[in-house]
Amino acid sequence: MTKRTQARTGIARYQQVYTVLSQALAEGTIAAGEALPSEPTLVRRYGVSRTTVRRALARLASEGSIVRRRGSGTFAREVSQRSPNNRRLTRVLDDLQRLDETTVSTVLEFVRVPTPEFLRRETPEFGETVLLVRRLRSVNEVPVILATSYVPGRLAPLLNKVRLRKTTILVTLDKLGHSAATAEQQTTAVAAEPYVARNLKCPVGAPLLNVRMLTRDQHGHALDYTSVMYRPDSYELRTRIERPTRTRLTRLRRSH
Amino acid sequence: MAKSTSTSKLGRLDAKRAGSGIARYYQLYELLSNALRDGTIPPGRALPSEPALVAQHKISRTTVRRALDRLESEKRIVRLRGSGTFAREVQDAKKLCLDLHSFYEHVPTTAARTSVAVLKDKPELRSAAVRELERQLGESPIVIQKLRKHNGTPYQLCATYVSEAIGRRIRRGRAGQVSTVALLDHLGIETVRAEHTMTAVAADSAASKALEVPLGTPLLRTRVVFSDASSAVQAVYESLSRPDHFNVRAELERKGSQRSQTGWRLKGTSASSHRR
Repeated sequence: MTKRTQARTGIARYQQVYTVLSQALAEGTIAAGEALPSEPTLVRRYGVSRTTVRRALARLASEGSIVRRRGSGTFAREVSQRSPNNRRLTRVLDDLQRLDETTVSTVLEFVRVPTPEFLRRETPEFGETVLLVRRLRSVNEVPVILATSYVPGRLAPLLNKVRLRKTTILVTLDKLGHSAATAEQQTTAVAAEPYVARNLKCPVGAPLLNVRMLTRDQHGHALDYTSVMYRPDSYELRTRIERPTRTRLTRLRRSH
Repeated sequence: MAKSTSTSKLGRLDAKRAGSGIARYYQLYELLSNALRDGTIPPGRALPSEPALVAQHKISRTTVRRALDRLESEKRIVRLRGSGTFAREVQDAKKLCLDLHSFYEHVPTTAARTSVAVLKDKPELRSAAVRELERQLGESPIVIQKLRKHNGTPYQLCATYVSEAIGRRIRRGRAGQVSTVALLDHLGIETVRAEHTMTAVAADSAASKALEVPLGTPLLRTRVVFSDASSAVQAVYESLSRPDHFNVRAELERKGSQRSQTGWRLKGTSASSHRR
């Protein structure tokens, strides 16, 4: 049988099974009221022991995502009966800033540090030291976003911890004449590290959406590098792309 | 001044591809891109001049510039005012990425660099969101499931959902070769909008098997809803990608006036990010 669940990831197997099932429930792949596959089926599908499957199910049951009925099986509960943090909010590309204005932010760290190696390599102009700012944002007391920012040493004196509770780094810099003009954004998926998991109140190894953004002013000078972790059960990134006319089909439709 | 690469070394644009739905600039881009990749134009060497490319390929200067713009945005060439355009050292080629800011132009390139297998199985399990979208494609929509590989490593499992009427017009061989946009273009179905939704998901048993990763590994999921000018959904695409081999990039610029506090938009587009 498959060894795919093996803990090369450093994550317990029951945790892996829990993560996959919990996602299927959150997304309606297993619809409310529907029966979950039987324990033997789950054992086969994931290549794990029955004990592992039971442990994952016990956790889902304790969260109220499923209900186990003796003699008839395990069923997905109605979403309304689940805990509120299992419901999704959706946000778009440009919403981070707006979210900054409408949610509560906790500043976890605000400290000058030597420039991390990756930043030194990719964007040498950040200089020898940078300001590290780590913030946690919550919506209805549920933590949804953990943002880690690096600000070049030359701009660091412009920021202070108190201000950042209420506004963003970019808004603050903008007011002081350093306006953002362009940004490069990279989107990827990462596993929650222990520090991140603790803050976002998610299991270690849980999938997180990670958006990294390097912002520059109109002269091309770096203003800020921010890496944001989003809990995927509360956040997805949406972008609408209109097709440029120049790449559109130029031929006439043959069928007409 | 450095010696520049002769245009004759690069080959010609394929005349047969005129009217094929592949833009001229893209054809030149591909030609130069191949030359940069295979070392016909080694790092540090100058590319043929703009007028030389115009004369050789009988295309406009704008077309030439567009091809060069794209290579420049991919950081594969550098343009130095007054001395020419030069090939750059290739950087970290192992990771593939999708450029959202040039989505419609970009998709065919990624497709060309990877190998694809069209899978026989349909995805067994679909999320409520996909089931809902499928309904908009009418009765019994058709699913094309593909596995993309790069240098032998599977990195993306994707599924394209189309209506039965469209599905029946797609040849199996072709489905493997081209992107969803190209596939629809070929059938004369013009999609004008692509709504992307990205999130992170844990690999379920099917994805972990296909992508050769442990169960629960974080994957980047991209769902794209393609619609035509009348806002009718023509295709739904969903991919699961291994983040160690693939990610999504976007170049952004500030929306509206300098002083505006809100929002970014994709570079070079008019109104691209959308609120819901």
